[in-house]
Amino acid sequence: MSIANKADYQNFTLLSYHHIPSVHHLEIFEEAGGYEMMKKCFTLDPEKIKEEVKNSGLRGRGGAGFPTGVKWGFFSKDRNQRKYLLCNADESEPGTFKDRYLLEINPHILVEGMIISAFALGTQRGYIYIRGEFYEQAMILEKAVKDAYKRGYLGKNILGSGFDFELVVHRGAGAYICGEETGLISSLEGQKGRPKLKPPFPAIKGYRGLPTIVNNVETLAAVPWIMRCGAAAYKKWGTEKSPGTKLFSISGDVNRPGVFELPLGIPLIEVIEKHCEGVREGNKLKAVIPGGSSAPIFTAEIAKEVRMDYEDIAQKGSMLGSGAIIVLDETRSIPDILKWTLEFYHHESCGQCTPCREGTGWMEKIFKRAEQGEGKLSDIELLDKVAFNMRGRTICALSDAAAMPTQGIIKAFRGELESYIKIQMKNR
Amino acid sequence: MKKFEFNTANKKKYQELLTHYDDIQSALMPVLHLAQEQHSWLSPEVVAHISELMGIPEIKINEVISFYDMFYDHPTARNVVQVCTNITCSMFGGREIHKGILDHFQLHNMRPSQDGKLYIQKMECLGACEMAPCMRINNIYEGHLTLKTAVQKLEVLP
Repeated sequence: MSIANKADYQNFTLLSYHHIPSVHHLEIFEEAGGYEMMKKCFTLDPEKIKEEVKNSGLRGRGGAGFPTGVKWGFFSKDRNQRKYLLCNADESEPGTFKDRYLLEINPHILVEGMIISAFALGTQRGYIYIRGEFYEQAMILEKAVKDAYKRGYLGKNILGSGFDFELVVHRGAGAYICGEETGLISSLEGQKGRPKLKPPFPAIKGYRGLPTIVNNVETLAAVPWIMRCGAAAYKKWGTEKSPGTKLFSISGDVNRPGVFELPLGIPLIEVIEKHCEGVREGNKLKAVIPGGSSAPIFTAEIAKEVRMDYEDIAQKGSMLGSGAIIVLDETRSIPDILKWTLEFYHHESCGQCTPCREGTGWMEKIFKRAEQGEGKLSDIELLDKVAFNMRGRTICALSDAAAMPTQGIIKAFRGELESYIKIQMKNR
Repeated sequence: MKKFEFNTANKKKYQELLTHYDDIQSALMPVLHLAQEQHSWLSPEVVAHISELMGIPEIKINEVISFYDMFYDHPTARNVVQVCTNITCSMFGGREIHKGILDHFQLHNMRPSQDGKLYIQKMECLGACEMAPCMRINNIYEGHLTLKTAVQKLEVLP
């Protein structure tokens, strides 16, 4: 077998198989090294697997960045109790497309990661909740799951280990809020995807009221590599508090948009200049949204200084989120970005908490009034005030996710908003 | 009111779906997807049938249908087209494409064409920003669009 068909564990943790043609076929994945770790893990004490994941410092890659090992630590150790492992593949944060890219080329890395994680956690059943729009990807996953069953990697008494694990691909139907873990649980229960009050956290009381772990695609897909190469090797990448590599989805005004696996802590400007081959048409950088639409925007000045890890981005006033970077060049209008963001969150609010249901609508109305030339400069303060009152007052983070980018734009681009309101008034 | 029921193949699929879940309500979304694949939209007759079949009150089913953008409580068309209008796609003309398509085919958003061929839906981020602007035609992604190429792709549909 040629070296080109071997996995590259040296340079990648998540995309280590992505260069291999047709790696979505089980045999090809397996020939390259896939499912080796699953087999090995069945010989280990489940607690050892949890320990290794905890020691790696892996943090939840869906957006919140909560340490995976700590989340797993809250979970019941009773292997006979009915418990669930849910994979969050609802990827819907605007700007994010990394999970899609990971899955559509290599579905088996997730299946292997889920089997190992399920064995460590002692869950008997797992679901991959994939957003409804990803129909083709759901079909690719279903085929992978079916093939894994045929091979005896899923089902009863897997490879004679005595461990049973059923895995099902479950399609969503178009709702951003189902990416929130308790919204996802409600949706899986066959309800509206409305988030639930925490505590109790899903690890204690989740799907159907039973203990449930919800992890992002990228989080679970990192597990086989961590088991292969070890927590210490994983920590060689990234920073002390943000170890490992991360998938970044980069779109907007760059020459080469796409998904890149890079060590956490990489300077944002290096991502743009080196990996994305710079800003398109030689234009000047104006701003960057560093972590999906809910992350406050950075001006070019800050974008040139920031490092892509949880801590440095937070310290500069934004968040890493799902690692979705949207690059804006000098030709872009910031009020446009604000309008599209506000429309989105208004549309996606599930409506159960007043500050979010009303606040997202008010903010959109205030902006659209200004767009019609009927605004006044004090509307900026009004927007800021509404946004402030939406923060930290609701069941889930959608309200904050709408408020934060609004306040971020006001802070970073107030001058441009003021000119916009004035111009719209004049042109009325 | 014309009665709806699953065809033979889907009856089998329905039974199989139930085995994937520990309670019947959890199977509701996959069952709705299945019904919509067969009937193209979730009419009152479809809802009545599923309610009877699964023992879930119609109001609970209608609640779910109304919550999700991809479940339709009104007729769609042979081709369902979803145009992304979120940040990156809008930066590259996604909104103009959405409006341009509606104008070209003289349609309204989320109303089927009279010949039953096209149904256009403005969508939030489709998760394919690297190919902005993009749209989905019957579950298939099409990226790097212009209004011209978008119209061409729709014109050749059956």
